[in-house]
Amino acid sequence: MREIELSLNQTQKIRLKRALEKLESLSSKANYNSNASVSISDSIPVNHEDGVLKGHGTLDLNGELVATLCGVVERVNKLVYVRALRARYKPEVGDIVVGRVSEVAQKRWRLDIHYSQDAVLMLSSMNLPDGIQRRRTALDELNMRSIFEENDVICAEVRGIQHDGLHLQARSQKYGKLERGQLLTVPPYLVRRRKQHFHHLEQYGVDLILGCNGFIWVGEHVEAKDDMVEDQVSKPEQQNIKSNKNSISLEEQEQTYTPIETRQSICRIANAVRVLSILGFNINIEVIMDTMNLSSSLNLDIHEMLGSEFCVLVAEGEAERRSLTKKKG
Amino acid sequence: MVGLSLGEEHFIQGGIAQDLRSDGRKRLTYRPIYVETGVIPQANGSARVMLGKTDVVSSVKAELGKPSSLQPDKGKVAIHVDCSTTAAPMFEGRGGEELSTELSVALQHCLLGAKSGAGAGIDLSSLIVVEGKICWDLYIDCLVVCLDGNLLDALGAAIKAALSNTGIPRVHVAAGALGDEQPEVDISEEEFLQFDTSDIPVIVTLTKVGRHYIVDATSEEESQMSSAVSISVNRKGHICGLIKRGGAGLDPGIILDMMSVVKHVSEQLINKLDSEIAASEAGAEES
Repeated sequence: MREIELSLNQTQKIRLKRALEKLESLSSKANYNSNASVSISDSIPVNHEDGVLKGHGTLDLNGELVATLCGVVERVNKLVYVRALRARYKPEVGDIVVGRVSEVAQKRWRLDIHYSQDAVLMLSSMNLPDGIQRRRTALDELNMRSIFEENDVICAEVRGIQHDGLHLQARSQKYGKLERGQLLTVPPYLVRRRKQHFHHLEQYGVDLILGCNGFIWVGEHVEAKDDMVEDQVSKPEQQNIKSNKNSISLEEQEQTYTPIETRQSICRIANAVRVLSILGFNINIEVIMDTMNLSSSLNLDIHEMLGSEFCVLVAEGEAERRSLTKKKG
Repeated sequence: MVGLSLGEEHFIQGGIAQDLRSDGRKRLTYRPIYVETGVIPQANGSARVMLGKTDVVSSVKAELGKPSSLQPDKGKVAIHVDCSTTAAPMFEGRGGEELSTELSVALQHCLLGAKSGAGAGIDLSSLIVVEGKICWDLYIDCLVVCLDGNLLDALGAAIKAALSNTGIPRVHVAAGALGDEQPEVDISEEEFLQFDTSDIPVIVTLTKVGRHYIVDATSEEESQMSSAVSISVNRKGHICGLIKRGGAGLDPGIILDMMSVVKHVSEQLINKLDSEIAASEAGAEES
């Protein structure tokens, strides 16, 4: 059984084990034979006369094709490769990622996106604050810190992998700096690629961004503003908050805090994501909403969502939901 | 430790001001505590405490030694903390030494009282075998495995749990030893005396962020603190030790207010900890 870091008493352990076994049995029925999961040094059944192409994670050993990774065998025409289940984040063009600025370098920002190297966001891949399309001058380069600083959280899209690393772009209004919320880290293999990664939950007023690299942002909803129109009004406001942080009195700061109802929704959603990450379930918007509704229907205090009882309930609920969808489909 | 952006810091401070922290806790709520005793079979007593993601292991070894000539009727206790490299990359090599010494000194201060042995949370007179000649030396070693804020509280809880798990072997002293001679002792292999831990204090750390104080801060919240006060309180509500960390100055009225908050919080913590320790000992006996 998976190692789950929870302190459970005896009955909870039994219930959790039963729910997880049910889920495993449901998923194994869906697997076809050719998609068999392999471990290291398992031989891959292959028709040698067909002239097979050996892909990643395989090795030709004494005429036999042997797996060098633990994972699932994938076949595409003549290519046979092993896809690892728990690997580091592997970026693809068009992925939405959330990253933290680790360095401001010459004409670029370096971001930490939980990958084997830092990603690069070029100054030219970023919209300027005044919104005009023009060539970036030396003055723009000197003012880079006024756009993004160290430790800022940024949402961007993968543009491609070039010789000097992974390049990102943040040209659209929906990308950019993320404030007023919290950043959660989950294992990257739990976030599958889908059509939609930006979710605006209207009834709570919360923005939820599921980064493909395992960084999940939950925060207050911010309207994507049009740079050219709002330029004059918003600039003095932004400078006030950023540069005069120490001189703003506590009362003024309190006025800019997130309202309590939005904060409760943010904390509830964040805890739902934490519970799913502890249990190792795939994270997508439907599961998060189900977990939220479960916790509201049980009238649980927000911090009790991280207790062992709720985790076991979520596991059982997920097993139920999947068996129901299997019966329908 | 990862840095935080201005927006995230603002969010954390707002949460603390509004009594709703990032994981939904109130200002005076502890994270779920998990206690496991008897994790190190070779030691006389051991325990592992997980406070959220903070993970510490504590072990107690007892050896026979000679009491110091200044206090011939008291045993000796030495507390040492080691920050493991797996906890944070900055602890590699000798990086963790500063934090380790700070924690060891703080724990000795809270649990052992003054140099003369007065006011100790641990009753040192129960460790004496033959007055002036033989006493038990307790060596308490703690290891920080994973750090996510609030180390002192977790270490205090781990030491308390390890001491309740400690079995000191019964010693038979050969009669008829005269003057300066060392009496012969026979350490029993089977009979053990359980150490009495009902008087051992727990440590509660109050972290001040902005205008409010919170209990059990995570490392993100600790990065926002202006100052932190750790108070060790025993079951009777008496204060056994007080340590202040952090650069900001505190008004004396705030310290008195903190002490009353801590007295209130510590009752719940002591009860919770005792029940967890009892549950873990009971679980260990079954298996």
